[in-house]
Amino acid sequence: MTHPYATQLFDLFKHLGPEMTLIVFACVLFVAGLFRADRAAWSLLAVAGILAAFFVLAISPRPQVLSGDSVFAVPLVFDALGNFTRVLALSTGIILVLLAWDEVPERHVADHHACLLVIIAGVNLVGCSNDLVTLFLALEMISIPTYILLYLPKHDDAAQEAAIKYFLLSVFSSAILLFGFSYLFGLTGTTNIAAILQTLHNAEEIKASQGLAQIAMLTIAAGLGFRITAVPFHFYAPDVFQGTSTSGAAFLSFVPKVAGFIAILRVFGFVLPAGVTTPAERSLVGLGLSDQVPILFWFLAALTMTIGNLLALLQDNLKRLIAYSGIAHAGYMLIAVASAPYLSGPDSATSGVAAVLFYLVAYGTMTLGVLALVLMLHRDERPVENIDDLAGLAQSHPYLAILTTALLLSLIGFPLTMGFTGKFLIFFGAMAAQGPTHLWLYPTLAVIGVVNAAIGAWYYLRIIAVMYLRASAKPIETPGTITCLIALLVCVIFTVALSVPPGASWLMNVARQAAVR
Amino acid sequence: MDFYSTLLILLLVIPALAALVVALVGSTQPLLVRQISLGTTVASLAVACVLAFGFLSTRTEMKERTFRPEFVPGATADAPHATTWNLIDFNMGRERSAKGGPKLGAIQFYVGLDGMNIWLVVLTTILMVASVLISWNAIKDEDRVHEFHAWLLLLGFALVGVFIAFDIILFYVFFELTLVPLFFMIGIWGGPERRYAARKFFIYTLAGSVITFLGLLAVVVVCYNKTGQHILTFSIPELVTIFNDLLTNDVANRTFYENFQFWVFLAMMAGFAIKVPLFPVHTWLPLAHVEAPTAGSVLLAGVLLKMGTYGFMRLCLPLAPDASISVGVPVIGTLSVVGIIYGALCAKSQDDIKKLVAYSSVSHLGFCTLGMFALNSTGLTGSLLQMINHGLSTGALFLLVGMIYERYHTRSIAEYGGLGSKLKIITFCMVFISLSSVGLPGLNGFVGEALVFFGMFETRMGLAILGTAGIILGAWYLISMLREVFFGALKEPHTEGHEVEDITPREIAALAPIMAVCLLLGVYPQPILDSVKPDVDVVANILKDRKAKMN
Repeated sequence: MTHPYATQLFDLFKHLGPEMTLIVFACVLFVAGLFRADRAAWSLLAVAGILAAFFVLAISPRPQVLSGDSVFAVPLVFDALGNFTRVLALSTGIILVLLAWDEVPERHVADHHACLLVIIAGVNLVGCSNDLVTLFLALEMISIPTYILLYLPKHDDAAQEAAIKYFLLSVFSSAILLFGFSYLFGLTGTTNIAAILQTLHNAEEIKASQGLAQIAMLTIAAGLGFRITAVPFHFYAPDVFQGTSTSGAAFLSFVPKVAGFIAILRVFGFVLPAGVTTPAERSLVGLGLSDQVPILFWFLAALTMTIGNLLALLQDNLKRLIAYSGIAHAGYMLIAVASAPYLSGPDSATSGVAAVLFYLVAYGTMTLGVLALVLMLHRDERPVENIDDLAGLAQSHPYLAILTTALLLSLIGFPLTMGFTGKFLIFFGAMAAQGPTHLWLYPTLAVIGVVNAAIGAWYYLRIIAVMYLRASAKPIETPGTITCLIALLVCVIFTVALSVPPGASWLMNVARQAAVR
Repeated sequence: MDFYSTLLILLLVIPALAALVVALVGSTQPLLVRQISLGTTVASLAVACVLAFGFLSTRTEMKERTFRPEFVPGATADAPHATTWNLIDFNMGRERSAKGGPKLGAIQFYVGLDGMNIWLVVLTTILMVASVLISWNAIKDEDRVHEFHAWLLLLGFALVGVFIAFDIILFYVFFELTLVPLFFMIGIWGGPERRYAARKFFIYTLAGSVITFLGLLAVVVVCYNKTGQHILTFSIPELVTIFNDLLTNDVANRTFYENFQFWVFLAMMAGFAIKVPLFPVHTWLPLAHVEAPTAGSVLLAGVLLKMGTYGFMRLCLPLAPDASISVGVPVIGTLSVVGIIYGALCAKSQDDIKKLVAYSSVSHLGFCTLGMFALNSTGLTGSLLQMINHGLSTGALFLLVGMIYERYHTRSIAEYGGLGSKLKIITFCMVFISLSSVGLPGLNGFVGEALVFFGMFETRMGLAILGTAGIILGAWYLISMLREVFFGALKEPHTEGHEVEDITPREIAALAPIMAVCLLLGVYPQPILDSVKPDVDVVANILKDRKAKMN
């Protein structure tokens, strides 16, 4: 007897082309790396692998045909959100290869890039997950290579401590996540996310076991909160960023956040898979689990951005600063997550999920860009580790200084950069959201958000001020590597081009399509 | 697109392009950089003048109850005062829903001229020319002349943009854009405490304006949520109409709107009051003015502060009218009077001439807000005129202080005396401008101040009487300064041997237009008052209606 959904399940492999391509290239790299250490060749091969995955993605059949109720059986859905995640992950992959190009020791290049390709495939799968088990495996497909990735480029004590620290906490968070998943399974009797959301939306008897749903919600939020560095699960970030290599910090600053936010959108039902029907009186998405979901994210957002920004004020080390700034930006994105359930009507002008997706892109370009600069200029004989080390950059590297200024202004949220357009979408959504209990709940969150944006301006501006307004006793003479320069340029171009029309309208449109079922 | 719309676009394009060209010319040809800057700013001034005359001659009688920008680029024959140039369309290519569905608008490139902004634009272009001229020799580091001028021109671009924007987001974008050029101008070419001043200026004003941004968004959102049709628009004229219709018609939600306006008023006040600056959030101003290079001070005092008062008039009064009446009059009226007197007293006690002028700004901007929050046509007109007057006279005062500083390298009043016997023309200009600033009849300051107080006497007699004290104090500190620096026995600071010359032709070229306009505005202000009135009356009528409803 064949499985009732055999065709649909077999059909999935047709859509998995990009991921399989990545894995094949990763295997080739792992094996080939044993025989030769060749920086340029293996890096180019990695880039070629990602480009091949792009190509396969472009020609792969679309859309996925889900007949009847097969959405409640398939472990993967290849919808707009999935494709958004895949394009984002693949593009990030190219930037990360460029950043790691010269930093990783030559004998580890192949292993490093192979791990990176596996991770990218993992992020892709997170974006398409429709099953708790698949989602968990996809998340582990990101975590496990990450431990190796953090260890490979640098072998000093600090780097090892960072890798161990990340390893222990990551395993811990995975366990918590799995614990939460098990409650969901216990509540609904299935691991299929669409089926879970459908059951939770409809079943009245679930109300009786609210307590269980709340435990599931809290533990899942905690497990994923680690990846997006939400306070209070953020403690590892500054230490690990400082200890590990710069390309490792660049990786950690962005990739786990993408996976974490997409997983949140999927598991909590902020983006419902097509086929899930909601009763009219509970048409708000994201409320399947419990009405307290938005409130939980409300508090997470407020805490995360405030603590991230306040602690960032105290930092002198650039990578620690970027870590805290990443925490703060995760907080801004959580504002959009928290307001998303109340912005989801078909005619709505704003969409919380689209704002998250837009801001993810913004955050990625500006943060990776800044780290590209650090990577470019840092040399052991003339370190660029603290903010003050950038003094006089405007004199020694005027063009680099102006490019970096654009990125920092974007981090501040200044007009004509993606940071502004993204914050505009987030705050506009928060102002428009009319919460369940209290009219002023979300505008209050927006006020906390803008106050934080102003606090954030202080430490970003400090970097600009150091570059332009101070001279250095020992000017930076590093010319910088071409790969990092390309990465920096790409980041700046995206930061500016996607902040104004037509780029902004295009990305907004794409993000909104990804946000609806 | 007609002739004038094209000119309006040019007004933005010229400085932006010039900034780019200047930056690309590079450090090797400082003279070329200066010539390009001068040429383009003069061209902008010419364009602005043509637009002003065009505006005066083509304006027809206003029937609308909201702002009506002219020369809008991208306007159609059906809607000559709106634009079709969408920047970010929230409708996202979907079919516009049939009747009853939401009307999702777009963030638009919506610029235009009306009586409220045309003269501020002219003021900006005049002061831009003066700024370029005064910086001719002031930037010592020849390698970085191109950077300085690029920032200066970019600042000019943003300033014009703030005034002509009629889209609420576009307004905010330009509003914020002014910060970056000034940050660099103060931070790189400023005085000894430039770094601290630049950062304080940037953060202080940014912190206020992000709150203002939320206030603006709140108005857009309420117009969207509360209208039956769900109209999403970012156009300022439309928002004014929709919001005031809601206030009039949606009686059921009256308490909601009262609370809402209170918070919106506070939010807008946060940004605009810092920009004006009102007492007690003025502390960034003396620091930034004193540390900035002369061109920076001229534009900061002359134009940048007006962004605050202009924002109040364009956005705060029409979009939070009830709160302006109930909260604005007592709170801002009082703060203005305190600012007038406190600023004047601080100015009197300064030894640094530049600081004196900076504090005089605090005092004089108090007149602007005082007149505005008289909330009647007279007061608003006076306030608008006073913005222009203050821009001219304080801009010129900073120019003059800069000239003296360039000659003697000190700004301490105590080190000077009797300069009148040596620098005859500079002294004449200084006396002339000081008298205009003080409000001598026959010069521009008088007309504005008189209207401000006529307006305020109708609304709050007590505040008006206290405010007039500021005029006397103003005369006191400015004329004392004149006496000590320019009259009496000659006392010069040590000049290290080089001969000090009187005014140069370049400096005359910077000052003369400003002085001419001062005189013109003092003797014959009627055309400007007439052109301003219809647009100011839009605001005044809204406030009058709301007052009638409240009683």
